[in-house]
Amino acid sequence: MSLRRNISLSSGLSYRGGSPYLAYIMHRIGGSALFIFFTLYILSLLGMGFANAIFGNWFVQTLLLVFGLFHVINGLRITILDLFPKWIEHYQMAFNIQWIIYILLAGYALFVVLRNAFGG
Amino acid sequence: MATRTLPVSKRGLNFEMFMWAFTRFTVIAMYGLILAGILGALSISARTGANFGDILYWAFFPHLAENPLEQVWMTILAKLMVTAFILVVCGHGVHGLLEILDDYFTSAGARRWSRNFIIAYAIVASLIAIYVIWTR
Repeated sequence: MSLRRNISLSSGLSYRGGSPYLAYIMHRIGGSALFIFFTLYILSLLGMGFANAIFGNWFVQTLLLVFGLFHVINGLRITILDLFPKWIEHYQMAFNIQWIIYILLAGYALFVVLRNAFGG
Repeated sequence: MATRTLPVSKRGLNFEMFMWAFTRFTVIAMYGLILAGILGALSISARTGANFGDILYWAFFPHLAENPLEQVWMTILAKLMVTAFILVVCGHGVHGLLEILDDYFTSAGARRWSRNFIIAYAIVASLIAIYVIWTR
């Protein structure tokens, strides 16, 4: 599909779809991050050194948590609105609540990761 | 947006509807298992003096942190729950990844190979995960 799209990459990147488009893109990136996370998780539990080394990096942990958590929370909003279509009129409020929960959770997760990485 | 207000009972049952339902219900199963896992961990954390942050960090990065729950948590029920979680995650992940890949692979052959690869990967990964869960 995408190979037949008739817009340039720069136009695509500059598309101003607002927060729904941002959520759509971040949901896909988050899903891919969780796929990488799942793979590394299994390999590290098997005792593979390279997986442990990648997993041990605080920057990798931060990326996986920031995008992974977004996927989880955004997925919950999508599921709720899909299963209860009448609530779609409160779409914007659901979005705002989602962002608040995400910022709180991601902030806490980052605090724990950075505390474990740098001590204190 | 207006088309999405159609109630579930009137959406009909075809392949798309089935996969939509599968993805949504596996998500709900995951949330349920995560919630049960967190509540279970918190209920036994008093015995070992673990805090919420340490439990979450160990759950995400088990080889980087000491197990704050020690071996108290490793019951048959916990192993069954983690096994169920792995299978649900694999089912959900396969569908999600294929949806992304289908947007970038346009030829029938590429789509077929990506499907075969992802499904084979999910089977192998879940088998390894189940082996790890039940043997360690």
